[in-house]
Amino acid sequence: MSEELPNDGGIKMVIAIVRPDKLSDVKRSLAEAGAPSLTVTNVSGRGSQPAKKGQWRGEEYTVDLHQKVKIECVVSDIPAEDVVEAIADGAHTGEPGDGKVFVTSVDSALQIRTGKTGRDAV
Amino acid sequence: MTPLQSDLATVVEGVNMVWVLTVTFLIFFMHAGFAMLEAGQVRSKNVANQLTKNLLTWSVGVTVYFLLGAAVSTIVGGFTGGGGADVLGAFTDLYMPAEGAAGTWVNWLFGAVFAMTAATIVSGAVAGRAKLRAYITYTVLLAGVIYPVVVGFTWAGGFLSTLGFHDFAGGVIVHAMGGIAGLTAAWIIGPRMDRYNDDGSVNVIPGHSMAFAVLGTLILAFGWYGFNVGTAASPLAYSEADGVTLASFAYVGRVALVTTLGMAAGAMGAGGLSLVKTGKVDTLYVANGVLAGLVGITSVADAIVWPGAIVVGLLAGAQLPVVFGFIEKRLKIDDVCAVFPVHGSAGVLGALLYPVFAVDLWAGNASFVELLVPQVVGVVVIAAWTLAATAAVFGAFRAAGEARVSREHELEGLDSSEHGVDTYPEFGGRDEAVRVDGGVRIDGGKRTRGSRPPSDRTADGGRVSGVEKTTTEDGEN
Repeated sequence: MSEELPNDGGIKMVIAIVRPDKLSDVKRSLAEAGAPSLTVTNVSGRGSQPAKKGQWRGEEYTVDLHQKVKIECVVSDIPAEDVVEAIADGAHTGEPGDGKVFVTSVDSALQIRTGKTGRDAV
Repeated sequence: MTPLQSDLATVVEGVNMVWVLTVTFLIFFMHAGFAMLEAGQVRSKNVANQLTKNLLTWSVGVTVYFLLGAAVSTIVGGFTGGGGADVLGAFTDLYMPAEGAAGTWVNWLFGAVFAMTAATIVSGAVAGRAKLRAYITYTVLLAGVIYPVVVGFTWAGGFLSTLGFHDFAGGVIVHAMGGIAGLTAAWIIGPRMDRYNDDGSVNVIPGHSMAFAVLGTLILAFGWYGFNVGTAASPLAYSEADGVTLASFAYVGRVALVTTLGMAAGAMGAGGLSLVKTGKVDTLYVANGVLAGLVGITSVADAIVWPGAIVVGLLAGAQLPVVFGFIEKRLKIDDVCAVFPVHGSAGVLGALLYPVFAVDLWAGNASFVELLVPQVVGVVVIAAWTLAATAAVFGAFRAAGEARVSREHELEGLDSSEHGVDTYPEFGGRDEAVRVDGGVRIDGGKRTRGSRPPSDRTADGGRVSGVEKTTTEDGEN
């Protein structure tokens, strides 16, 4: 585990919750940052974005869970900070509801096709 | 009769039958519309239940209507029309028509598709909690007795028809009857469990597919041309004196125009009022408005001046939010698909507005009062009979505790709990029923080697929930 290796020689997972309409921008900036691999999930969530009104047969109801996409990006050679920055650049609008980014450590990894493990699997 | 005259009479009869059968098939297609309209307005966990009810309404109902209902309407028509009735004859004429009575079964089918339209309206009101056996039993009674009595009073020559009650294609006889029956049934069996809070406030429960609801609406509107225009059921007539003449088709253009204008105005009326009330044009109200406009003009499409079609349609659409709000918030009745505002109150409204726009009034052939009285009497009689009969049936089921599904089944959703169906399965592939503790059944129910009995292994005491497997032990599937 050399000091020069990014992510202190470990594997990091960057988890971001962003606006669905910013997904294309995030994908582009991730590719530009050298971390094109990602997993995307449709999710609902509540944060600082104010509740909106849904309507069914003319009657309003509160929708406080907003549609978001969750992006998961696991990196070893690319510093997690660069990935965070790339996502933030792509997803930023300045309005409440832009989302959040979290970084966690990953204990191990396995590439199913090749059987490679650890940093090489990522 | 010369050979040529005889040929002409046969051609006229054939043309008329082709027309009646064509519109009958159009009306039958309205079941596809009802199925989609209702499926779209219920939650994703209750879709298959709603579709099952729609399929069985037709299948069970039309059989009962052949075996019992059609004859009951003839008998009731005869007795209440003052002519007396041949009870046995009403059945034998239908079961074994006389030689040469080629149209008997064609006419029966034409009547049957109207009957089944009335029957299928009810399922939309009681969606999401009615027990299948209660609903099907009600359908049997509706197809065999409740609706045929209404037809007996009216189209079959009973006392309302003698009185002069005007309902051309069934705005009251079919639609208001179905709408009132639905409202009554929904009232008796109670709201869906999460519809009202303890303080009486209302929770909005959105349906799962606006696209289905709108598709169903337009299929219904398409079928409605058969329903209304097709009620001009004898295009041609033949007599030795006049030869071939237009019969019902003498006025068919008015029916087609009034039907179209009523439909269009209904959508605009509902959309307009929802814009005024909420600042938005509500999609579902516009769709419901199409149908309410159609219901409104159905009883009068052959006999009103065309500006009346626009007024009736606009009002039928505009009353939707008002009536729906009253039922929901004041009466606290959970009418899931708004069947009363769409079919009930819109049908009554159209029938009661008949005197205002009647061609007979504007041509000076009849006075307002003499047109109005039969309409009021007809609406009151049909509404009272439908309400009483429906309340009796569902009241009996409720007293027996059989009107609605259990609390657990309602929470889980009727698709899975009542039918074992997952309408929107998330994942396909081989169906291995996996235990919550990680054990895998690959034999479809038998214990796998070394496994403990199911009762030891499943979280719910042995029953493997969800769909049982199709995989066999040797891997075939």
